[in-house]
Amino acid sequence: MSGPDFLALLPLVLVSAMPVVVMLAIAFFRDHVLAAALTLLGLLVCFASLPFAASYAPRHITPLLIIDNYALFYMGLIFAATFAVAVLSYSYLGMLRVRREEFYVLLLLAAAGSSVLVASAHFASFFLGLETLSVSLYALVSYPSSREKAIEAGVKYLVLAAVSSAFLLFGMALVYGQLGTMEFSGIAEGAAGLRAASPAFLGAIALIVVGFGFKLAVAPFHMWTPDVYEGAPAPVSAFVATVSKGAVFALFLRYFARVDIHQMGSLVLAATVISIASMFTGNLLALLQQNVKRILAYSSIAHLGYLVVAFLASGALRVTAVSYYLVSYFIAMLGAFGVVSVLSGREGDAVDLDAYRGLSSRRPFITGVFSAMLFSLAGIPLTAGFIGKFYVIAAGAGSALWLLISMLVVNSAIGVYYYIRVIITMYSARAEGETAETALSKGAVSLGGGLLLAALTLGLVWLGVYPSPLVSLIQKTIQGLR
Amino acid sequence: MLSLLWLVPALPFAGFLALALFGRRMGAFAAAVGTGSVGLSALFALAVAAGFISSPPPARIYTQSLWDWINVGGFKPGILLYLDSLSLVMVLVVTVVGFLIHLYSAEFMEADDGYSRFFAYMNLFVGSMLVLVLAGNLLLLYLGWEGVGLCSYLLIGFWYRQPENGAAAIKAFVVTRIGDTALAIGLFFLFLNLGTLDIQKMMNMAALRWQAGSAYPEIAAALILGGALGKSAQLPLQTWLPDAMAGPTPVSALIHAATMVTAGVYLIARTNVIFTMAPAVQFAVAVIGAATLLLSAASALVQHDIKRVLAYSTISQIGYMFLALGVGAWSAAIFHLMTHAFFKALLFLGAGAVISGLDGEHDIFKMGGLRRQMPVAFWCFLTGACSLAALPLVTAGFYSKGLILFSAWQSRRAGFWLWAAGIAGALLTSIYIFRLVFIVFFGKPKTAVVKKPGPRIVIPLVALAFLSIVGGFVNMPAFFGVKDVFSRFLESVFPVPPQAASLPETELLLETVSAIVSLAGVYVAYFFFLAAPEYSEEMARTAPGRALGKFWFSGWGFDWLYEKALVSPYRWFARANRNDAVDLIYSFIAAASRFFHYGLSLSQTGKVRFYAAVLALGAVITITIAVLAR
Repeated sequence: MSGPDFLALLPLVLVSAMPVVVMLAIAFFRDHVLAAALTLLGLLVCFASLPFAASYAPRHITPLLIIDNYALFYMGLIFAATFAVAVLSYSYLGMLRVRREEFYVLLLLAAAGSSVLVASAHFASFFLGLETLSVSLYALVSYPSSREKAIEAGVKYLVLAAVSSAFLLFGMALVYGQLGTMEFSGIAEGAAGLRAASPAFLGAIALIVVGFGFKLAVAPFHMWTPDVYEGAPAPVSAFVATVSKGAVFALFLRYFARVDIHQMGSLVLAATVISIASMFTGNLLALLQQNVKRILAYSSIAHLGYLVVAFLASGALRVTAVSYYLVSYFIAMLGAFGVVSVLSGREGDAVDLDAYRGLSSRRPFITGVFSAMLFSLAGIPLTAGFIGKFYVIAAGAGSALWLLISMLVVNSAIGVYYYIRVIITMYSARAEGETAETALSKGAVSLGGGLLLAALTLGLVWLGVYPSPLVSLIQKTIQGLR
Repeated sequence: MLSLLWLVPALPFAGFLALALFGRRMGAFAAAVGTGSVGLSALFALAVAAGFISSPPPARIYTQSLWDWINVGGFKPGILLYLDSLSLVMVLVVTVVGFLIHLYSAEFMEADDGYSRFFAYMNLFVGSMLVLVLAGNLLLLYLGWEGVGLCSYLLIGFWYRQPENGAAAIKAFVVTRIGDTALAIGLFFLFLNLGTLDIQKMMNMAALRWQAGSAYPEIAAALILGGALGKSAQLPLQTWLPDAMAGPTPVSALIHAATMVTAGVYLIARTNVIFTMAPAVQFAVAVIGAATLLLSAASALVQHDIKRVLAYSTISQIGYMFLALGVGAWSAAIFHLMTHAFFKALLFLGAGAVISGLDGEHDIFKMGGLRRQMPVAFWCFLTGACSLAALPLVTAGFYSKGLILFSAWQSRRAGFWLWAAGIAGALLTSIYIFRLVFIVFFGKPKTAVVKKPGPRIVIPLVALAFLSIVGGFVNMPAFFGVKDVFSRFLESVFPVPPQAASLPETELLLETVSAIVSLAGVYVAYFFFLAAPEYSEEMARTAPGRALGKFWFSGWGFDWLYEKALVSPYRWFARANRNDAVDLIYSFIAAASRFFHYGLSLSQTGKVRFYAAVLALGAVITITIAVLAR
């Protein structure tokens, strides 16, 4: 590896060094403030190194990694989202009776794994990144070890993720067995050679799709999602919903842009089925759900279904739609889980929708933020979610995916029902006789949490009315996929 | 200088945001924020105007592209400000008159609970109106159009605790919505056929692609006209404006007299190319204008509520503007729009001073003799009345109305009849406004004055009175030998009106006739309502007099007609259709969704082995599809 290689790799090196730094710091000074501050600072440094690395991109570094604008864009997204999760975690952990500092080590490890994923160009780095991410997540999900639900969620996630990894590894092995390579570019060439002929190859790709599908929590691989989201601490649920899925989707798109999915008609059909199933499953399950975290979990299943519509499009709008949608989805999900997180008390998370009744009169700021996030998830104009959905539909229409688009439209309508239901609950008055005593935390929102929620809301509206800077940034990342 | 343009609409929006977020804690400071933002905006508008006039931009057009809202597949609606002499005139009218009315409101609304809410809505209105007049494409214009409609709704129903105010607000919203829908369809039609929403490109494209008089421009013009009729309260969508007087008086002055209701006139002037290519629709504009001005002038003659007189008067005066648009006298319409904004705002503000002076009394027959008790209000109101009645030489209304009547005379199609309608309307105008002056300000005092206007009410009154006089001197008839500055200023926007071979002598003759008519109206009003009121009372007592009075009082029975022909059948249909068949489809969808929700919920057992089994099953299905469907 040459000097420029190292410089291009700088963000990845930094984000991998951060867990070590924080771990050593804890070894000498066990202090929550220090650990959190180091984490936030480290993430800022990682973020700041991105433009620097961009001047050396695009660059293949060993057969394993490729640093291009696309990878750097998603790394930026991962760092920013991890930053937000760390801010939320600081006040969340503050009220738990656990050792708090190691949480940040795990969080940074998960971010490092995700960063490897978005830059990988090889099955080995793909799998290593995925497992680094997953193993950190098992521990993060069950971090409040005194809570039974958290342990249950962690174990469920561990078992099911292991099953899915087995499918994924088997798929990789089959591909290697037929083509003798594990590099994406080599697979793409090989696939062009034996296209259409080999059922074994298609089966192998299908197994890889299963592996992706589990991580993205698209139907029918979604079963774990609500249980894990419900059991995990709210900031970790936010991380699972955003960073983990976003990184995997970025790789999903990179992989199938190389190994062109449009050359394999049956896989397009499979993805179409998965997309439609996800949209309906997610939205229908959320419809009358009373648990806010489960609502968000089902909502994320549906949103990944929408994203697959953009993924199946072809042409220039495909990457724009996917990336824009992911950014808007990140903001809205972080904001929504952020609200749940700041409302949560020591006993457990604020999950019962009934407890949110009449929230608007007591916590107008929080209610406003949550409403904005839900409006964006529903795709109401003037929020980022609307522009994102617009791009997805535009991309789909450009590729004449009429079936998928009509399903998307139907599902958007179903979705509005339960998003608005939550908003109505927050703005409706409590029934007579009911006391204001609820399970929600009544403590003031911490300064960091408040600033973060305000910033997310601002970003949401900003992207909803002034999307062009982000769009032009995304368009610079497109060449990376050719 | 010109680059400051974006600040002009941005400042009122900033004021709105500040007031909406922190207004409740501001107290009396809310007025300073609300008035200050519009005042600053007016200053920037004046600076922009100075820059525009002293060093005109190329082709007298300045555009400022702020950002593109979206850019997909050739559909690229920009947030684009477009400044030419037409929009400059509108911006000045909106900001200057808007500022004076805000200043007035600071005192007028002082005792009201919703002080900051009022200013928040008013600032939002000014911002939206500025977006409307500065928009470079029809989509942005539509945004402003809907924004002012929303503010109009909010402000008519400002005192929402009285249900009738809410009803008036809903009526205004629903009736204008009919027009807005036509305009929206017009937008789609234009985009579909011309492929752009940028107004200037659209006009060029229309001139290239369409033949004058063919169906396309006629349809487009008719749809745009539909929107303009609703917003500007012209026949047959005029019924909402008299009821809109339920709002606070400054609102009536700003929104329902000076600015928003003239948006229809602006819209037609802005798209004049299309109307020129659609002679049938353009003639309809003139006929509608003439009919509206006569009908509502007659209604104004018999009203009891001081604000309703002015409301019918507004409808009637906008009728004059439509008449001007219909005969292609674009700059005359805009000229009258400007002078009307001055004198009608003045009249409303004067009426507001009287109403609050008499502790909320609206009925003119309970007023009287206020000349001595409220001299400032009297002199200012009188100035406005003279300008509205177009008393010769010294008032702004004389010059603008005279130009419209002269243009109507010159019109090739039914010129004489349009002129005759206009001149008859002028007579009625003069009678009804001086009826008001004589009843309210002369005679014996009937109600005690409880409150005298303070400085923040007097200053706007005097300033508007000044503008109602000098506002007309910018455009004099040719026989005065003075340049018609205003029309020339607008020449870069409008095509030169078809000049019939008419001599300055004709114009002199026509101006003399209208001068005589308006003076005659004053005399008639004096005779019937001050000198010998018994005659008018007698006339009103005869059977036909009573019937006609009642008929005019109710606005020619339009409300009754719509109630019978539209509202009642609709209500009946809605009641009959409570459990309608169409709804069953949606109930079925809802029921099906609920059913599937419960069905799917059963699958969420929480058991890992079941989850793993579903995962495996999903894998089997995926592989099957991938392998077998190839």
